[in-house]
Amino acid sequence: MIKARGKIGFHLLLQSRFWVIFFLGSLLFCIRWTKGAGYLDLYSVLLKPILPGTAQREWIKEGENIERNIRLKLLEDDNTRLRRALSLKEFSADKRISAAVISRSSRNWWQQLEINKGTKDGVWKGQTVIGPGGLIGLVDSVTPLTARVRLLTDPGNQVGAWIERTKRHGILTGMGTNRPKLTFLNKNSLAKIGDAVTTSPASTLLPPNLTIGIVQFVNEKALPSPYAIVQLTASPEAIDWVQILKNNGQK
Amino acid sequence: MCLQFCVITSPNWLKINGISPCWPVILLLPFSLNNPPWKAAFVSFLLGIFIDSFTLSDVSYIPSLLLLSVFWSIYGLHNKKIESFLNIGLMAIFGTAFVGLSVWIQKIIIYSFLRNNWFHSWSIYVLISEVIITGLVAPLFSSWLLLAYKKN
Repeated sequence: MIKARGKIGFHLLLQSRFWVIFFLGSLLFCIRWTKGAGYLDLYSVLLKPILPGTAQREWIKEGENIERNIRLKLLEDDNTRLRRALSLKEFSADKRISAAVISRSSRNWWQQLEINKGTKDGVWKGQTVIGPGGLIGLVDSVTPLTARVRLLTDPGNQVGAWIERTKRHGILTGMGTNRPKLTFLNKNSLAKIGDAVTTSPASTLLPPNLTIGIVQFVNEKALPSPYAIVQLTASPEAIDWVQILKNNGQK
Repeated sequence: MCLQFCVITSPNWLKINGISPCWPVILLLPFSLNNPPWKAAFVSFLLGIFIDSFTLSDVSYIPSLLLLSVFWSIYGLHNKKIESFLNIGLMAIFGTAFVGLSVWIQKIIIYSFLRNNWFHSWSIYVLISEVIITGLVAPLFSSWLLLAYKKN
């Protein structure tokens, strides 16, 4: 009798919505206990392909650019302050003169550019000339209205350079082609193909950290010191406008 | 004035591989062929000073132009009828090669690092290109100038 009543009770329990209620209750308890983690995870997985939207992506990029610009400005200010403290040459973006190329001889015996700014505009011998891509050369001579720029590629032109990654200094010598030779001052250059070559941050003649080119070839076994062939990032053959940095030069 | 214009403007259609003709040779050749050696040498000296002022001041055109002007002048005195295109072209080619070699040798003497590797691809490239373009341009310009000198 008791057995039969138990069976009936169990049957009624199954028939009733007890298990559904129990299951829902447990689920609710789990959700509450995990603070909705499962839901949130599922929601994020579902939203992943469509986020961020086109508009949001633009805003994010813009925000990132603004942040980078502010950061760059802060770092530049910091750099200027530190360079002043160390009495090193300063590099200010404000002290630039834009000039047009009026004559070009970038592949001849003399590799030079004539630009349309001279002493009247504050251009002096020895000032640094840059173009899109980085350093191009130095002002060799000036007239009141024009200046002659000796290109980095000109045979006989030598400037100091270094590889930022290895912190190794060298002398960049023009070889007549767009690939000058960087002769290292150390026995072991540690340079690799693809390394960026820039002006030395400790240079007293050239503004610091100007891009010159990329290492294309390294000969570690060369005597008396290893050398690298550098592909210039600024192509003098294609540049119509240049900028003269007023940091250095002789009046 | 003409030389200055040619050197400064150096139009692209008158270039081969980015290299313009050797204008001092083109202008000096007809003058030297039509004048005595002393006069040709004097003019070549002036021309050398003039053209050197448009280049980076390390090596000079003057020695090679002086020698060429004297040689062409003597040649012109002995051969009165040099008016054919081929003659002028050949003389301009040899003259340009001589001027180019002179510049090359001066650079090697001045810059010690160029002595370390004697094969300078850039120099050979410039020399050959300059010789070709001068050889093509000279028969037109130099012949015309030579005829103009002779008429005067």
